[in-house]
Amino acid sequence: MEPILSLVNVFKSYGEKQVLKGINLNIYPGQVIGYIGPNGAGKSTTVKIICGLISDFEGEVLVNGLDIKKDALLVKSKIGYVPELAELYDVLTPIEFLSFMAELYMLNEQVANERMTKMLIAFGLEAVMNQRMETFSKGMRQKVLIISGLLHNPDILILDEPLSGLDANSVITVKDLISKLAKEGKTIFYSSHMMDVVEKVSDRIILINNGTVIADGSFEELKQQQGDKSLEQIFSYLTQGSNNNNAASQLLEAFNN
Amino acid sequence: MNFIDRFLVFIVLLPKGFYKSFGVNYNQLKTILKYKNIMGDRTPKGINALRKTNQNKPTSNVSYFQTFLSIFLGLMFMFSFYIGVNYETKLTIYFSMYMFILASTLIADFTTVLIDVRDNFIILPKPINDKTFLLSRLLYIIIHIVKTALPMTLLGLIYMGYYNGLWALFTFFILILFATLFTVFLINTIYILVLKITTPNKFKSFISYFQILITILLYAGYQIIPKIISQSTLQGINFNLSNFSMFVPSYWFGAAWQFLNSFENSFKLIVCTVLALTVPVFSIWIVIQYLAPSFNKKLALIGTSTEEEKVVKSNLKPVKFTSNYLRFFSAIFTAKGAERMSFIHTWKMTSRSRDFKMKVYPSLGYLMVYLVLVFLKNDGGYGIQFPEADSFFYIFVVYFCNFILITALGYLSFSDKFKAAWIYYVSPIDKPGKLQLGAVKSLLTKFYLPLAALILILVFMFLKLSYLPNYILGISNQILIVLSIAYISFKDLPFSASAGNKVKGSSFVRGIFTLLIPLSFGGIHYLIRDFLPVVILLIILSFIAIWMVLDSIKNRSWEQIKTQSDF
Repeated sequence: MEPILSLVNVFKSYGEKQVLKGINLNIYPGQVIGYIGPNGAGKSTTVKIICGLISDFEGEVLVNGLDIKKDALLVKSKIGYVPELAELYDVLTPIEFLSFMAELYMLNEQVANERMTKMLIAFGLEAVMNQRMETFSKGMRQKVLIISGLLHNPDILILDEPLSGLDANSVITVKDLISKLAKEGKTIFYSSHMMDVVEKVSDRIILINNGTVIADGSFEELKQQQGDKSLEQIFSYLTQGSNNNNAASQLLEAFNN
Repeated sequence: MNFIDRFLVFIVLLPKGFYKSFGVNYNQLKTILKYKNIMGDRTPKGINALRKTNQNKPTSNVSYFQTFLSIFLGLMFMFSFYIGVNYETKLTIYFSMYMFILASTLIADFTTVLIDVRDNFIILPKPINDKTFLLSRLLYIIIHIVKTALPMTLLGLIYMGYYNGLWALFTFFILILFATLFTVFLINTIYILVLKITTPNKFKSFISYFQILITILLYAGYQIIPKIISQSTLQGINFNLSNFSMFVPSYWFGAAWQFLNSFENSFKLIVCTVLALTVPVFSIWIVIQYLAPSFNKKLALIGTSTEEEKVVKSNLKPVKFTSNYLRFFSAIFTAKGAERMSFIHTWKMTSRSRDFKMKVYPSLGYLMVYLVLVFLKNDGGYGIQFPEADSFFYIFVVYFCNFILITALGYLSFSDKFKAAWIYYVSPIDKPGKLQLGAVKSLLTKFYLPLAALILILVFMFLKLSYLPNYILGISNQILIVLSIAYISFKDLPFSASAGNKVKGSSFVRGIFTLLIPLSFGGIHYLIRDFLPVVILLIILSFIAIWMVLDSIKNRSWEQIKTQSDF
């Protein structure tokens, strides 16, 4: 099977600081990728490169065989992106914001209107569809963003901490949505800090640290390699080595004065 | 979109075929402009963005308000037609005011228009090419400039057309266009220079200070200029007499108009006309060719993690809790514990909270303007005089100085981050009055001590030592007044209330109150100023009263604090 997304020798530096040091990945249709790593590991940078936000990187990124540097527009129309931090234009109403997004994707107006209304209703936002989002909670904004990422029916969905701020019921909905989308052959790229969720939703986990991939495989494979531990423990061991218990002891030692 | 925006969007989108031939996606362009204008109409701009207190009411129709404000500013420019002997001079002043006001308005607005970090996350991941995105930004900026500049110059244009005919109107309009281009160049240069030396986030605070400065300068200008320059002097000004005026860009435009409407064979006028018509074009070319690309790169950096990483590195320096002088003051003026913590906290918050500074620092500026006004001679001549041995004057100054302090006190309860005040509620503090006392003392030390010291120096320099008791009584009364007002009106914990909850009527009442109390104290003081025993007696009484008020603030219990329900 042809990979839908491949990264070949991707390097990226900010000034002197090298953030990505040669990332090589092949991702296949229908996979749910859990992309994890400590703060500053290069997660967000990878996501921004795949979404086309950063274009001055070295190496190659291919989506469906198309080079993101050459065919940026075609690639972007196949990707749906849900940014973290609930970044949206909150002076607009959900309907206005989503219409704006739909028009940028050049969707047919009627199709877009039907889709967004159905999706808003499914997320329980029908009552506030025409209210400005200034007063929305983080979870409500996140739902609107998820809809904006799905609206154009992308092949690849990139989620950056999509569950932050969502209530328990919505978390279940989104998790369910992820597995159903994967069954339909969509590829999900899930970047997160929440190990327990990653452990459950993803069928392939990629761990990066200091700009390089240090583990890649299903949760079962990782467990076989690292001993029968939780993903959290594996993560901690691989990114901090044996120091992982020291921080807690040091915190306690501070009382000895 | 309201009709102004709709009309302007329609106009800028007219060259549809031209845009398309460049590879711009017309439909996307139209969409972005449409929604950007809708958002613009709902986002408060300029000074209003910072003064906006009522968060519950959604903003709308900013465009109409903006237009009205621009027309009003344009009305102020009309003053220039009253100055000077010839149009060359009148228009030089007109263009100076126009360029200055336009630059300051646009600089403030561009932070919201241009530096919208969210574009990076929302628009850029969409299938949209760079040309479409850049053009949409450019057209949006043009719409914005037109919306600001046209109403601003409307009255001037009408005046010109009415008194000097169509050709005068046409040349004036063209010159306004060129002056606008030149102003855009100036703004761009300022932006790039500042972004070269600092980060975008710091730049935003720089803009705030810039706005404060502009407000104060404008105020000072309108208060002081008519005082120092008489009417006949104003009407006799002639810039044509000095050759230095050629170095002033606004003179080029004034002179160009003069030349285009008289075709006078003057070397100076011709040179200026050439400058007025070529420099703006050349400067815009520089912007497009050199400045804009690096500017866009800088803008793209906003929101990436590089900035935060720098911060982490600099934090590795040795631990520093509080600076020495702050520790010194807090040790002198406060008791250990909650009071001192509140003193230091308030000190730091008043230095760092942009919100607080935007509200309080302008009044500090106005105070300075008033003081300069007081020192200025009133006979229309230049120069500054110190009214020697005029005790009324010093008593007035002493009593006047607490204006700023009372303003600061009015905002002490409020903060954007009011929810952070939970720390007061979860920590074991027996009497919240201690927190209030520390905060009030902090304000006194920070905003009043330097002024009091300055006045003390003036007293020693210009007055006899026998005024010292009066000075002490004045200072002591000031502290008493501020503390009393604090006791009456400062019912919250410092920085614990949302600005949206501020009751509107109270500020008016406080304003009256604020004026009346110092005035009545000052009046009584003035009457008894020559009776030394009475002065000394009053000093003692004032000290006792201060001590009592301090004590009652300190002992305020949790029941007396207005509790905040919106955590």
